Amino acid sequence: MLVLDRVGKTYPNGVRALDGVSLEVVPGEILVVIGGSGSGKSTMLRAISGLDTPTQGRVVLDGAVITAPHEKIGIIFQEPRLLPWLRVADNVGFGLEHYPREERRARIEGALDRVGLTEKARGWPRELSGGQAQRVAIARALVPRPQVLLLDEPFSALDAFTRADLQDHLLDLWADFKPTLVMVTHDVEEAIVLADRIMVMRPRPGRVYEEIACELPRPRDRQSAAFDFVKRRVLAALDRSLDRLVITVDTETKAAAGGGLWW
Amino acid sequence: MSLVAMTATSERAATEQPVPKVRVARWARPALGLLVPVVLALLWEMAVRAGWSNGRLVPPPSRIYQEFAELARSGELLRHVTATMLRVAVGFALGTAAGTLIGAVAGASSLARRLIDPSLQGLRAVPSIAWIPLFILWLGIFETSKVALIAVGVFFPIYLGVMGAILSVDRKIVEVGRVYRLSGPAMVRRILLPAVLPAYVISLRAGLGLGWMFVIAAEFMGASEGLGYLLIDGQQLGKPAEIVAAILAFAVLGKLTDWLIVLISSPFLRWEDRFART
Repeated sequence: MLVLDRVGKTYPNGVRALDGVSLEVVPGEILVVIGGSGSGKSTMLRAISGLDTPTQGRVVLDGAVITAPHEKIGIIFQEPRLLPWLRVADNVGFGLEHYPREERRARIEGALDRVGLTEKARGWPRELSGGQAQRVAIARALVPRPQVLLLDEPFSALDAFTRADLQDHLLDLWADFKPTLVMVTHDVEEAIVLADRIMVMRPRPGRVYEEIACELPRPRDRQSAAFDFVKRRVLAALDRSLDRLVITVDTETKAAAGGGLWW
Repeated sequence: MSLVAMTATSERAATEQPVPKVRVARWARPALGLLVPVVLALLWEMAVRAGWSNGRLVPPPSRIYQEFAELARSGELLRHVTATMLRVAVGFALGTAAGTLIGAVAGASSLARRLIDPSLQGLRAVPSIAWIPLFILWLGIFETSKVALIAVGVFFPIYLGVMGAILSVDRKIVEVGRVYRLSGPAMVRRILLPAVLPAYVISLRAGLGLGWMFVIAAEFMGASEGLGYLLIDGQQLGKPAEIVAAILAFAVLGKLTDWLIVLISSPFLRWEDRFART
């Protein structure tokens, strides 16, 4: 079990990025953290990963306090961050250096097959599209079978089609060995498609504002009334009413169509 | 862009004829670079043969070739080339070793950088030829002072290149290494070395170029053999063909050694996403 005990981070310049967040994530749960910029969501994720140390509180995984990157915790960043000098297969196997050669090869092949990039194994990262590169990054993070997988806005740099595709794909991969997922995003639909539980954060200082359970049956239909219901709740918690959003979109459509002609 | 404009563009693209391009076969591309010098040389040869010039100060290619052949036959060429190559090799090795080591230390530790970088930048501002009198006083007029001068010339571009490359390694990539809990040596081997390699190769090439430059300066200051000696000898005895032959030898050696660095490093740099793929 992953436990955050009043985790906070104050930067040396006095900015309070994260203000005492406590939470528990049970094994296999998919927790999505959503919030605007400056709400401390990425700060929290980096504290869990052990890349940054919090200034207050502590992160505990199965009784062990996390102070540095841990073998049971994997992370996927916003950018693929592949190593350009390694071929795709070697990038996937980057965290498997200490494994026996056969085991390593089998795992790499399996992971590449799972993300559908077997034919790119001998290729270089520069030859991949954005979506393919992020799939390789996902394979690299999953191949050591981490108990907890952290995702820091992993799909935000991708186009809408690729994004929806990879969201479904991520759920497939998650089902293989059901790691705990903690994902940070600012995309409301993405949160509802993936999450068992949504944590809405608000800035200044970064705090958890509301927790919303999201127990729709999977696969989730983005057009269903239940989906829309959850979406309204999340938007309300984010202080962005859906109605206001609709009005803005409408005005933009009118403007694009030529304001004069419309009337 | 409006729909009308888009349709117009695509229509134009469809009707436009492909512009015929001059295509050069792969094997012929290196030859293309030879075209200009060969044509110029032939023109000059013709000019001298036709008697428009006596070719005394600017010898025609045939006379330079004769000079070359003569030097090669007598073993003189080999002797001079070996002497020069040896000086460059030793000076380059010493300069590279020192530049790499000190550059790596200055790149890795900000304390070391604050301590030594200002002094080295100050020394770098001194034209290296200015060291010659001091080196002769300290190290004598023979090989040691020559090699020292070459090493100084090679040192600075490599020091700067290595330090700059280490400082500009992407923090995000280093973080990937941290996520996989790489130890210090593993971080260097698996992340830092490959990341700095392209810049390092460029600094090696710059250093080698300076090495060739400084070997001439070193040999000008008094040598009994070497291509630089050949240059001075040609000047004092009034033999322009010998001078041009020595210059050509420099050009060939410089290009060959540079190409050697490119050749050795290219298997390690195949991953690079370059603007021009050769």
